[in-house]
Amino acid sequence: MNARYFVRKLSTLSVTLFVTASFNFLLFHVLPGSPVQLLARSGHFDAAARAQLVKLFGLNRSLVAQYFIYLKNLLHGNLGYSYVYRKPVSTVLGSAIGNTVLLVGTATVITVFVGVWLGVVAASRANTLVDTSITVGSLGVWSMPDFFTGMILIFVCGVWTHVLPISGIETPGLVTGLWGHLGDVGRHLVLPAVTLMLVNAAEFSLITRNSLVDVLVEDYMLTARAKGLSRRVIIWRHALRNALLPIVTATALYVGMVLGGAIQVETVFSWPGMGLLIYNSVEQRDYPVLEGCFLLFAIAVIATNFISDLLYQVLDPRVRRT
Amino acid sequence: MSRETVDSSDGFLTRRKFLSLSAASVGLMSIAGLGEEASPAGATSGASSTIRVGWTTPPDVLNPFTYTASSALEIISLMYDTLMEYDINLKPTSGLAAKETVSADGKTFTYQLRPNATWHDGKPVTAADVKFSFDVVGKNNLGVSAWSLVDYESAVVSSPNTVVINYKKPQAFDPALAVFIVPQHIWGSMSTTKIQSYNNPNPVGSGPFKFKKWSTGQFVQVSRNAKWWGALPAATSIIWNQYENSDVMVQSLSSGQLDILTEVPPVLWNGLKNTPSVKSVEMDSFSFHHIGFNQSTSKKSGGNPLLLDKTIRQALSYSLDREQLVALALAGHGVPGSVQLPPSFGDLQETIPANQQFNNDPAKARTMLDAAGYKVGSNGIRVDKHGKPLSFRLIAIQTTDEDVLAGQIFVKAAQAIGVKLTLETLDGTTLGNIVYNSTAPNWDIFIWGWDSNNPDPDYLLSIDLTSQIGGNNDIFYSNPVYDNLYAQQAVAINPAQRRALVHEAQKVFYDDAAYCIMWYQSKLQAYRTDTWKGWTSTRGGIIYNFTRTNYLTATPK
Amino acid sequence: MSNIVNVGGASASDERPTVTRRPGVWREVWRDDMGRTGLITLGAVLFIILVGPIIFPFQSQSFGTSSASILQAPTASHWMGTTELGQDVLRQFLVGGRISLYVGVMATLIAIVLGAGLGLVSGYYAGWRDTVLMRVTDFFLVLPTLPLIIVLAALFGQSILITSLVIGLTSWPQTARIIRSQVLSLRERPLVLRVRSLGASDLRIMGKHILPNVAPLIFANLVLVLSGSILAQAALAFLGLGDPVQVSWGTMLHNAFNSGAMSEGAWWYVLTPGVGIVVMVLAFSLVGHSLDRVLNPLRRGGR
Repeated sequence: MNARYFVRKLSTLSVTLFVTASFNFLLFHVLPGSPVQLLARSGHFDAAARAQLVKLFGLNRSLVAQYFIYLKNLLHGNLGYSYVYRKPVSTVLGSAIGNTVLLVGTATVITVFVGVWLGVVAASRANTLVDTSITVGSLGVWSMPDFFTGMILIFVCGVWTHVLPISGIETPGLVTGLWGHLGDVGRHLVLPAVTLMLVNAAEFSLITRNSLVDVLVEDYMLTARAKGLSRRVIIWRHALRNALLPIVTATALYVGMVLGGAIQVETVFSWPGMGLLIYNSVEQRDYPVLEGCFLLFAIAVIATNFISDLLYQVLDPRVRRT
Repeated sequence: MSRETVDSSDGFLTRRKFLSLSAASVGLMSIAGLGEEASPAGATSGASSTIRVGWTTPPDVLNPFTYTASSALEIISLMYDTLMEYDINLKPTSGLAAKETVSADGKTFTYQLRPNATWHDGKPVTAADVKFSFDVVGKNNLGVSAWSLVDYESAVVSSPNTVVINYKKPQAFDPALAVFIVPQHIWGSMSTTKIQSYNNPNPVGSGPFKFKKWSTGQFVQVSRNAKWWGALPAATSIIWNQYENSDVMVQSLSSGQLDILTEVPPVLWNGLKNTPSVKSVEMDSFSFHHIGFNQSTSKKSGGNPLLLDKTIRQALSYSLDREQLVALALAGHGVPGSVQLPPSFGDLQETIPANQQFNNDPAKARTMLDAAGYKVGSNGIRVDKHGKPLSFRLIAIQTTDEDVLAGQIFVKAAQAIGVKLTLETLDGTTLGNIVYNSTAPNWDIFIWGWDSNNPDPDYLLSIDLTSQIGGNNDIFYSNPVYDNLYAQQAVAINPAQRRALVHEAQKVFYDDAAYCIMWYQSKLQAYRTDTWKGWTSTRGGIIYNFTRTNYLTATPK
Repeated sequence: MSNIVNVGGASASDERPTVTRRPGVWREVWRDDMGRTGLITLGAVLFIILVGPIIFPFQSQSFGTSSASILQAPTASHWMGTTELGQDVLRQFLVGGRISLYVGVMATLIAIVLGAGLGLVSGYYAGWRDTVLMRVTDFFLVLPTLPLIIVLAALFGQSILITSLVIGLTSWPQTARIIRSQVLSLRERPLVLRVRSLGASDLRIMGKHILPNVAPLIFANLVLVLSGSILAQAALAFLGLGDPVQVSWGTMLHNAFNSGAMSEGAWWYVLTPGVGIVVMVLAFSLVGHSLDRVLNPLRRGGR
């Protein structure tokens, strides 16, 4: 990978970020209903306070001026002011991000391992019963909406039995030490992470299986066989590495998908992350928070895209990018 | 295949090994946690005496002037004091003021403050703080309590511990029950605009509990104020836990993770009846849900002018069977509605004899409409003499299930008397914006409700005043007779006299049928019987009520 | 939702053997076990939701008469129990299927027409048009789908038309990408070059020579976009952003979740619409997956 490619990719990234931010602004500023009206909906703001709010939000300026103020604020990390909580959006987001990262991160690690493993098993026994069962099973699980899976798990683990907590991130009012606390969070993490993992693992297994099967029939595989390398070595060391490319490409799409899945899972399990924040902000029409969440999600996907593009270059020098 | 590739894939495996090690350690930690069971009841409340409350409506802001959520009020009322407060029977009793003296004409209130009252930051509470708090609200018409200080004149500090509050008119309702006392040394330097937009991240009050933590989206926690002027509560801390879903919240109560719930939806409440160690309680509430008809006479109003005809309104009220509404929308947990004041107001509620109520008589509705000249058209819908059909738009908040259901029932009931209703459900904010557009309200009929913010009838009666158009008046109702009756009762310090006026006001409003009050919902709550004792039921609820007594008197089992 | 089969296709398919028009495609799908199962299931599902409501009509205005009729377990008069309003779950389920499918189909049509159209134009003309369109596609591909759909639904409303539009507008980039890379290789084929040198109009070439060859690929993609759209609509409805009057399966699950079905143990209320969604999506996925295997024979694997 050369520096030129890196620089080109970086500039594309910047452009995409800029366009996304602008798109974000457009989306939330062509709304019916004055934001001041929404903010002051409690009816307890007098005329002077309303005027102050208008000034605070820069709503007395033209749309273009507001746009530039918005961009300038973004560069300083200022995401605006929540209508509902009357706190800076960045504060509201701050607490939620960590929880979502914990959930999504844990789920992703399990997803990749389970999914890739299943895919390898299916591909290495292509067209046998094992392959068909794994493929059909994966398709079946993939067809289950995240929230439905969650509801079923709640029934099994929360209603008919009581083995695992079905909501929140910790037991309310629990007084223990650090390890007890970590354990408490860990127990609460199990159901949401498993729910989030299921659909995505199914997808990963399907992708892995397909791309691995593609690779296994390529010529250089024959060469490897001819050299006398065992089947297992071929698959895990050689084929998988080359089949990794579509998986890496899938990662960027995965991030977009898992964020969508996180919204559903967080809502079902009351997991206090960004997904739940989006859901509540939609209900309360807290547009600044929605704007901030959406921007953050987009940035996450763009960044992952960027990294996976770079990884792609690293993993497969055959691919020329000009 | 060159050597390099093989080596790189070795590297890949090594990376993979690292990843699997990390995953394993996370897994180990979780499994370690699985071994430690947090035992349901004993360990938590016994060890640290925390009351764990569950709700689904989180607070918006802990600013005692600008909060709008009832949940915010619940927390604020434990961190801050008022001069007078409500006891367990909802009767006024002394709060921050040890003694209250009212002049004979009802215009001057003298308060002696408790000598040992301090703020959470250690500074003493003085009369100057009281004067400041009243001035902020009364002189600027600022905040949630502004309605109570409409006749406010001044507050005078007559000694460090005594304050005299003067009103321009006699006060039948004591505003000291509604105004929170805040520290001047914190709020004094803020402009009124700043006060209104202030987030109050570290509330400092004089109340029995101090602010501890607010984890957005999860919980709010307060801890006991060891220096409080009153009898120290047994609870050392209170946590209000937020749930997204009532079902899950109820599960948490059943499984022992919570001690008490603020509100339980009717169907879920029914399900709790047979749960061991859980008691479910049904009490009168101070709320009603109603159908509102747009009465705006503004030229730009988009409301259907036919709704200004009292006959049509009364007929629509007759079309509804309120018993059926309660049975279906509230699973039986409520009382069919009539006048504005719910039964919880006791003898202040006007009783309209059943045979005179505009309820459940579709035949009479049809006769009324026929007699008024609204003939049934070919498609079953009535028209007026200009051929305009009796077809109206009906809006409701989509997340309030009982309202949506009531709307659907209303549509069917109206159809039976020849009126067409088209139901649309919206989110709360949009509906609020549409309804409260005082210059050009473009709607016909809505469904929602009101909760009294006070056990005094003043608030609920004040909603539909002409002076509240542009304020709380959600239907732009204007009736000088009603306005007059309200004004008289507000200054009537003789209870019997006041009662008569309050009754009269309700009757006048009821006759106009601008509201169709559908029901007074019950306050449904539930608590565990094995963690805390001393939860006393009262009208309005054990908690989430106008009195904070139960939080202060509950003791651990 | 993503296109599970062709994810690697964006770059890998540049080196794929090109897909040609095959008259026996559907016959091969039928012969394939997976495809056959999918087609049969699909037929059954379509039959149930199209014919079912005629045999078991749903009256949206009929509610239960008392509080005892709420969330009842299955009985002789209500085979799948009742909802929180006392309405028959089975009948609501049968009617709801149409809505779920309708939104899925509408959204897919929008996505395919837009995606295939733009992909065709982009791949055929190449040059600056291609670059611009690809930038736009890339941009849309990085926007996280469900959050975007949620925001758009919150801003613009919840009727099924708007929901279809919103889902369709977020699904077209995938299709565009795939079609475009296919067209790019097709336009270099001898036949096409010959016809161009003979002076045939662009439109004619696109319509007569390129489109038919791309059609199977569009179709395989269409089926998978359909699966994704149905899931997207279900998620939207579950989150409360669906049309509250026209109850779809996702809305039924939303109602179940919010009315205490879980505490009441009303598993029938949750399983009926949920299994419905799974079966419908699975049927489409099986067909789509099988189509892909037929069109990419090397995928079958093994030597």
